[in-house]
Amino acid sequence: MAVLEKNTMISLAENAVNAALKKGAQEAEAYVYEGQATNIGIELGQISKTNRIIDRGLGIRVVANKAIGFAYTNIVDDAKAVESAVSSALSAAKASKPDPDWNGLPQKKPYSSTEKTFDQKIVALSSEDLVNIASTMLDAAGQVDKRVFPIEGGVGSAYISNAIANSNGITGFDRGTVIECSLATLAKEGGSVTPVCFEFNAARNYNLDPVWVGKEAAKLAVSALKTKSVETKSGKVILTQFALQDLLSYTLVNAIRADSVQRDQSPFKGKIGEKVASENLTIYDDGLFAGGLRTSVFDGEGVPHQKTAVIEKGVLRNFLYDNYSAKKEGKESTGNASRAGYLSTPSIDTTNFHIMPGNKTSDEMLSEVDDGLIVYYLQGAHSSNPVSGEFSVVATPAWKIKNGKITHCSRGVMLAGNIFELLKNVSVVGSNERQMGSMIAPWIEVENVRVIGK
Amino acid sequence: MKDLLTKINNTATQKYGAQYAEARAQKLYKTMLTLKEERVEAAKQGIENGVALRVLVNGAWGFASVGSFDSAILEGAVSDACRMAKLASERLKTPIKLADAKVVNDRVISKPKKNPSDIQMEDKIKTALAVNKTSLGFDKRIKSCSIDYLDLTGSSFFVNSEGTCVEQDKLYVWARITASAVNEGVFTFSREEIGSTTGYELFDEQNPESLGVKVAKRAIEQLNAKSPKGGKFPVVLGPNVVGVFVHEAFGHLAEADLALSGGVLASNFGKKIGSDLVTFYDDGTIEGAFGAFKYDDEGVASHKTLLIKDGVVTGLMHNRETAQKFNAEPTGNARAEDFRVEPIIRMRCTYMAPRDQTFEELIEDVKSGYYFKSFRGGQANLDGTFQVGIQEGYEIVNGEIGAPVRNASISGNTLETLHHVSGVGKDFLLDPGRCGKGQTAFISDGGPHIKINEVVVGGSA
Repeated sequence: MAVLEKNTMISLAENAVNAALKKGAQEAEAYVYEGQATNIGIELGQISKTNRIIDRGLGIRVVANKAIGFAYTNIVDDAKAVESAVSSALSAAKASKPDPDWNGLPQKKPYSSTEKTFDQKIVALSSEDLVNIASTMLDAAGQVDKRVFPIEGGVGSAYISNAIANSNGITGFDRGTVIECSLATLAKEGGSVTPVCFEFNAARNYNLDPVWVGKEAAKLAVSALKTKSVETKSGKVILTQFALQDLLSYTLVNAIRADSVQRDQSPFKGKIGEKVASENLTIYDDGLFAGGLRTSVFDGEGVPHQKTAVIEKGVLRNFLYDNYSAKKEGKESTGNASRAGYLSTPSIDTTNFHIMPGNKTSDEMLSEVDDGLIVYYLQGAHSSNPVSGEFSVVATPAWKIKNGKITHCSRGVMLAGNIFELLKNVSVVGSNERQMGSMIAPWIEVENVRVIGK
Repeated sequence: MKDLLTKINNTATQKYGAQYAEARAQKLYKTMLTLKEERVEAAKQGIENGVALRVLVNGAWGFASVGSFDSAILEGAVSDACRMAKLASERLKTPIKLADAKVVNDRVISKPKKNPSDIQMEDKIKTALAVNKTSLGFDKRIKSCSIDYLDLTGSSFFVNSEGTCVEQDKLYVWARITASAVNEGVFTFSREEIGSTTGYELFDEQNPESLGVKVAKRAIEQLNAKSPKGGKFPVVLGPNVVGVFVHEAFGHLAEADLALSGGVLASNFGKKIGSDLVTFYDDGTIEGAFGAFKYDDEGVASHKTLLIKDGVVTGLMHNRETAQKFNAEPTGNARAEDFRVEPIIRMRCTYMAPRDQTFEELIEDVKSGYYFKSFRGGQANLDGTFQVGIQEGYEIVNGEIGAPVRNASISGNTLETLHHVSGVGKDFLLDPGRCGKGQTAFISDGGPHIKINEVVVGGSA
């Protein structure tokens, strides 16, 4: 199925807005989404699954007497279906209650351009190409060690586009591509099975290294085979990007969302300008980062994406706003309204959450630890207390560092503490940044983490 | 619809040489509400129509999904699916085969007392507001309260090339309530979920006011709670924690796809991995339960599956592909979240069977330990490592329930921990939940109160 063209997408959105106004809405906003994805799946060590998913839809938000209604439909080629979504949104608004804090949809602002978000090469890839990438990755993993078993993974390419229009004259269209490959492995020896180890590449332009992904996923699993316990104590821990993303996304990200702050759900309330973290830590939310996985021209409300300082040298600078939360404080949106395609109303989220790199390489970081742990994967981070930041998680697994060298793997090690205390104890920030979903970060070393051995 | 889907399946088998083809169509209507502090953030309604096509060609799967019932578009999609499957099949070492499944022709009709699609949006908002109000009014230290409400109605059609044809009504009602409290720099957070497949009468059984109080009370109680000591302790778990423990620590390992992927259960089939008191089921037949349904997304009738009997592993959860590999019967565990995705092995209602002890008997000989009543989240790994975060817990001191503790978690290895189950209560509760395994599935889990002699408790003290 051919993709929807820019003009078609925009007029779908504009027509829905006009229909809503005609039916009595005071304000209206329509968001049109299209995603076309092709995936090659690996299961039990072989390529055995393929899929092609086409998803399109339109979501319409209307305001009637300061009450908000929303409706969506995934049938966009039928004017009647769109019309009926508009009516549903209006009836939802009429059933709803007025929101005295509602202060209008966003106004039109100029858009910046983005770099490296669309690559024609990805669109042009054939299924054969994707199968070849998957096969290369599998072979690379297999060559590392006989004890490694690739359990699942795959290669996927996607084209995503969206259009927005609102009754204040905003119109926008953006499109982009993503390609990724990933492999999860474990290693088996005798009766012993390692935890699942995982590596991946994901990029907006055609830039993959399936051999590296396969090898790394396999190497990690092998190194997790021999295990020894570690003692219970407080000490140094190096968090890789996987662990960091898990820990931060349920706690720190919540604390810097303006709606959390306004609802008394953030320990950062009233702390703008104060030191909340180690001075080694600088974080930007950057919706325009070149080639960022969350980079696009505008956010879920058609507000231009921007670069916002969140923490600079440990000092809290800004919270992240959508239009509603910003207007509540008489401020401007920071372009952080996020949407789950056409299915949802906007809500505040990070774009590319960029933890700025330091100047130590990963080797230097390891070599300077006398006694500590390095943690790749965590389990249970989503059970952290999102408001207080207290966490209690299992490292699956952790590797012991002694005198600058990784000595052995240890399973079932628990880490406990408070993420906001942890941010103050960041002692080293690496130079090895990489992208992981909405985060771009290097390794970080933290002191004084409570480690509960087994 | 049946004719259209049959025609597409025929194209796959006759024109493109598929050995098997299935088509799954859905017409779904959703109503969603989000309320925050008595403010209706959004009242939403949506329609999702589409078709999922899955074909097996030379032992490899092809899948295509489109949001359309248009015959020409579906013909194009099935051609894509067959071509890609054929391509993948060229590198197969072990072609996929399917276990036999009974050919079924059935129409499943839901009979709600109160159909959510007949309830006015105004009434749904009123119910949610009632929860919100009681929660916020419970104590001035409650600072926020959110309600997420969802109801889903509609129907799904499943037709395969073997002659099975099932049309099923879909009906889910679900709500999640969260509250946070703040006092003197201490932040606490509490969550409750309800859900059912019977109908909107769920809110008659679980009245909105008592839900609001329940959530608020927990957040307030946590304000004075202390952190638990880290280390090994005896614990008594409430049904809500037992449910998530059974689901996370054992259930995922008993999903046959994960067992095949190197999970620890594959090598322990028929072996004793727990104390005599341990009996687990995954049951899709409990009427009205959030995780129950009549036919799965491969058209197989949902079973009551015995997973562990008296400590011995006796069964796994299968789809048709894994059942063939294990030479077992498909159990009706193949589920797809919607037409956009392929069915995978998912749990239904997973629980521990009750025995004969009272709560008092379970705690009486615990000198120093914890009672964990309600969970915040849980996760497990294929090597059997599990972690369950606790949102409501208490100390047990000399056989008595003591002071509340907050932000505790338990962890360990399933195969060790199940041997430490030393007491199982006679009570029983099933809670609704949602499980993520790439896709979201509506599930139930639960059991009685149980005692575990020794488990690692994580805490910051």
